[in-house]
Amino acid sequence: MRADYWTRFLIPPGVWLLALFAFPLMLVLALSLGYVDDLGRAVYGTDWSNYAEAFNPTYLPVLIRSVGYAAATVALCLLIGYPIAYYIARFGGRYRYALIAALVVPFFVNYLVRTYAWVALLSDEGLVNNFLVNLGLTDRGIQMINTPWAVIGGLTYGYLIFMILPVYASLERMSPSVIEAGKDLYGRPFRTFLHVTLPQTKQGILAGSVLVFLPAVGDFVSAQLLGGPDTYMVGNLIQDQFFAANNWPFGAALTVVMMLFLSIWMIGYLRSASRDARGAAI
Amino acid sequence: MSEAIRLEDVSKSFGEYEAVKDVSLTIEKGEFFSLLGPSGCGKTTTLRMLAGFEIPTEGRILLEGEPVEDVPPYERNVNMVFQSYALFEHLDVADNVAFGLKRKKVAKDEIRKRVEESLELVSLADRAKSHTNELSGGEKQRVALARALVNEPAVLLLDEPLGALDLKLRRQMQVELKQIQREVGITFVYVTHDQEEALAMSDRIAVMSDGEVVQCGVPEEVYEHPAEAFVAGFIGVSNLMEGIVQGKDKVKLASGQSVKAPLPEGCDKGEKVQLSVRPEKITLDDFERGMVTLEGTVAERVYQGVNTQVTISLGDGASVVALEQQTYRASADDRWEPGAKVKLGWHPDHCLVLR
Repeated sequence: MRADYWTRFLIPPGVWLLALFAFPLMLVLALSLGYVDDLGRAVYGTDWSNYAEAFNPTYLPVLIRSVGYAAATVALCLLIGYPIAYYIARFGGRYRYALIAALVVPFFVNYLVRTYAWVALLSDEGLVNNFLVNLGLTDRGIQMINTPWAVIGGLTYGYLIFMILPVYASLERMSPSVIEAGKDLYGRPFRTFLHVTLPQTKQGILAGSVLVFLPAVGDFVSAQLLGGPDTYMVGNLIQDQFFAANNWPFGAALTVVMMLFLSIWMIGYLRSASRDARGAAI
Repeated sequence: MSEAIRLEDVSKSFGEYEAVKDVSLTIEKGEFFSLLGPSGCGKTTTLRMLAGFEIPTEGRILLEGEPVEDVPPYERNVNMVFQSYALFEHLDVADNVAFGLKRKKVAKDEIRKRVEESLELVSLADRAKSHTNELSGGEKQRVALARALVNEPAVLLLDEPLGALDLKLRRQMQVELKQIQREVGITFVYVTHDQEEALAMSDRIAVMSDGEVVQCGVPEEVYEHPAEAFVAGFIGVSNLMEGIVQGKDKVKLASGQSVKAPLPEGCDKGEKVQLSVRPEKITLDDFERGMVTLEGTVAERVYQGVNTQVTISLGDGASVVALEQQTYRASADDRWEPGAKVKLGWHPDHCLVLR
């Protein structure tokens, strides 16, 4: 009877999920089997050619580029985010919540708007180049925008907080006496970090990597605003099918393929990573 | 015996707060030495300075004759058993124990051998491959102990290691810890706020209060001859009675009665003192010649199984507690009900005059 009582509360979110999550997903699946008629309208059907087209080798470089940018973004987020999370968790004292809040606040601003700010910074006549020219360090400024670095930088800036928060949580959960134990047992500071702190925060690093990688690989804002034709990502490809090429069925097929690809990849990654965590213990 | 640790006028301040004030101690090799005191008395800070986690503001710390106050923990030949165990959850039991030896780059074969031996020592040989979160509190404690002892440190530091265990397990671990210490012969410095634990296990005890060592000695000495009212009150139950020195070995109690009491050196007539008598030294019958006797009224009587605790009011607001063994008369129904007039007495030798 108790179980029945609590199950009731599952009905509203269940309905919500069905109507606004599962149903649209079905629409995407159905659409991916459709075709475009002569008037350019999407028509439902049972046409697998969109999938054949999705696996066309011309798109392979786009996929590889997207995964590469996302992986670079994860690496950068880890390199920047871990030290920040570490210092706040270990030395933030009573200011730690204020510091975390200070990190989160910029993310209240829309991602698109923040990326435009980067455009203003990095463009050929942007703030950074003006500054460099005024200093006399360069004649015409440096090409920064439209490079892979600008895109990866934009992605890193956009998703950094998703690395910091889980890493911070795992560091805060760790007892400081564990680090002391490492030092007490002859671990020099770097060794202690490597053999104690890092493995104990592995769950946070894993969670952060997934949270950064997934949106980064499908992102189109950063590549669109900060990149050029050479930095075209999967997200741009899909977006263009919907808004430029007006080929919704193909866009839907690409979305489904991408979703399956990422799911398989993530499941494999998480399983092997958690096996590692257990393997190290056994 | 040679000395393992010497503290010379060691002080430690955190900003304005003085946690440890001018502590000087010498701990002999192979000794089981306890730092005993209430929380905030500076005992843990002292231990952390020995471990190298805190650097003294002033004074010197010598480990086997060498000054170590600036030596970081990973270069000190001391190991610590933490209050919260602080086990490495990502490693199994054997790897936890092997951690220190690996960092010291000991040969693999020797690591395996020594890990086995020390797990044997703490009776955990069959749990070598277990994950730390499969262990009970007592087992975790043993792993923490083995992890420290396997390095054969000059001194083992223990920070309230039994604090998280239940009473029965605690008693059992006390005995075991003492046995292990005798077996390995390593100097133990043991921090605790539990006076019974300190009395039961230690070779010597330093009682700390407000950052200072107020008394240091063997358990019998600290218990039987507390140097200060604080020690008398903190270690065991003590009856403290106000009095004024009246003359040679005479103290006048607040009730007006004079009693015989051995005065410490240099007590002047008219000086205010406190008389301390342990509850188990007070008898309510079987008085002997030369005993001090007082009159009182039974205020409360609590049956405790092993003995009966009788609180006796002395009429002037003061009261004393007496412990009576369960002799035939003590357990008789018609004795020492609340309100009954009783006579109580003790040997003058069993009372202490504290200034």
